[in-house]
Amino acid sequence: MVRFILKRTGYMLVTFYIVLTLTFLSMKLLPGTPFKQAQKLTPQQLNTLKSYYGLNDPIPVQYVRYVWNFIHGDMGGSFQYGNEPVTDFLFARFPISLQLGINAMIVGTVLGILLGIVAGINRGKSLDWGSTMVAIIGVSIPSFVLAAILQFFFSVYWRIFPVAGWGGFMYQALPTLALAIGVTAQVARFMRTEMVEVLNQDYIVTAQAKGLSRATVIYKHAVRNAMIPVITIVPPMTAAVVTGSLVIENIFNIPGIGSQFVDSIVTNDYPMIMGTTELYALLYIVSLLVVDILYQLVDPRMRVTGGKA
Amino acid sequence: MMATVNQEVSKELFAPADIDHSSSERIAGESVSAWRDSLRRYVKSVPAMVSTIIIALTIVLSIVGPHFFGYGIDDQNINLQNMPPKIPGLTWIPAFDGKYQGVDVYAQKHIKKAYWFGTDALGRDIWTRTWSGTRISLIIALVATLVDIFIGVTYGSISGYIGGKTDTIMQRIIEIIAGIPSLVWIILLILIMQPGLFAITVAITATSWIGMARLIRGEMMKLKNQEFVLASRTLGAKNSRIIFRHLIPNSLGMIIINTMFSIPTAIFFEAFLSFIGLGIRRPQASLGSMINEGFRVLMIYPYQILFPGVIISLLLICFNLMGDGLRDAFDPKLRR
Repeated sequence: MVRFILKRTGYMLVTFYIVLTLTFLSMKLLPGTPFKQAQKLTPQQLNTLKSYYGLNDPIPVQYVRYVWNFIHGDMGGSFQYGNEPVTDFLFARFPISLQLGINAMIVGTVLGILLGIVAGINRGKSLDWGSTMVAIIGVSIPSFVLAAILQFFFSVYWRIFPVAGWGGFMYQALPTLALAIGVTAQVARFMRTEMVEVLNQDYIVTAQAKGLSRATVIYKHAVRNAMIPVITIVPPMTAAVVTGSLVIENIFNIPGIGSQFVDSIVTNDYPMIMGTTELYALLYIVSLLVVDILYQLVDPRMRVTGGKA
Repeated sequence: MMATVNQEVSKELFAPADIDHSSSERIAGESVSAWRDSLRRYVKSVPAMVSTIIIALTIVLSIVGPHFFGYGIDDQNINLQNMPPKIPGLTWIPAFDGKYQGVDVYAQKHIKKAYWFGTDALGRDIWTRTWSGTRISLIIALVATLVDIFIGVTYGSISGYIGGKTDTIMQRIIEIIAGIPSLVWIILLILIMQPGLFAITVAITATSWIGMARLIRGEMMKLKNQEFVLASRTLGAKNSRIIFRHLIPNSLGMIIINTMFSIPTAIFFEAFLSFIGLGIRRPQASLGSMINEGFRVLMIYPYQILFPGVIISLLLICFNLMGDGLRDAFDPKLRR
């Protein structure tokens, strides 16, 4: 097990190193100069600026410096905000995005499991049909359309929640919901399948034959077993939540890294784009690692027994 | 009457039955090919059929819709900004009564013609823009999906059919690509290539072929050891013939199902990119960029986001339902 985790962590580091290299290369491939109003500068001034930022060194030297700086937590300065370190921005804004993401994951998973259970035990009835429809609609409608609908009705029309901003529960409710629906839908579909499968198992019949009540059979025997595989589909959904958070944060004007990212794309703030990209990649790669380890812990059949998996 | 009852049952009345073995082998029903069978199952599925009809309608409208009124997608009319939607004959529906906050704007401005979906902040006809936007979204999705099938099927077949070292190397490459979130790939690619139709299509394709390649590889590995492949090889078929005449046609069901799920993903990513400002350039419109424009005036003119929002949601729901229907039709084992 320890060996497995070490090996996976090694893979993870390699993948992340590739991301780092790719972002560096694409930064070099990007058109234009990083300086504001570069056309107004004389070639000499431009040259001085370039050598000040080390942009005149050969690409390999720049590359080594870039990696070295990254290891020391320096991702360069933002173009947009007077060369302020990108890392500071990310550290200041990340907790907000994390909070939103975790909210959405928890709400989405809990709702999804409930919906899946309801659908699974009422298989083929109208409740099943209804929750399947909800799941398909949840999977299909883009989160930004949903967010706009929620914002319009709950904030503008009925004035229940604040329109935008970040703060306590009232501020968090709508963005969390908008982000959670996609998770809910996926978990619900998965949970329903698992429930249907588990309910057909012999041990459910045994439990019923023992004279256990319906609630006990469903909760103690069916749901608990059906939930095991669901655990493993939750972490990969971080990618979807991250994608969603980009637009959701923008729509609700939440000061997280998502809205920052969209801003930096619009203003061509390359170091910020690269820094955020790397952070997202890291998040995703770590979540894949977590899934791998979870699989191992949860399902002994998946356990890697030496050799190639 | 009595006579018949008393008649003796004699041996001569019996004769050996004629046993025709071929009759027991005869199939009573008409023979049904796997394709026909799938089609029959598909047509029976109500949600799938309704979705098919809605998608067909949307496609037709996206082709003829922009030419309905003769406006161009960028024809601006500063005098007619933000006109609410009005459809003659449907004015009893609140959304199409041509009134803005209870005031009939059309009467106020003495305008005879009606904008079915209203106009935007520059006085452009939203009907025209919505349908041409739908067309662009659909074209991007279609092209991205076709390229994705082509690359995915080729890569997957080579990897799965040849196997061994080639397979290992090809799979490691896929693992690295898949280890990086697709959002990151897409954004990096678009920044390098400059946003636009081409860049979006390339960026969407760059990540979406992986799912297809993995699926096809699995199918190839499953099929390549089956007897019919061995038979074909015994008869002297070359690898290319085996792949193209036997293996790919046998995994066609899988390919079609997966395609139906890649189309909505591509539509979503296009809209997403246009929404965050990395997509279609102005003055061209796509559903995503129209939702973006509509969102800016959501508080004042909610109808401007309504139509593109409804159409994209409807398209995505219908494509997903169609995909579900096709999956059930082609592979009843996967039915959930």
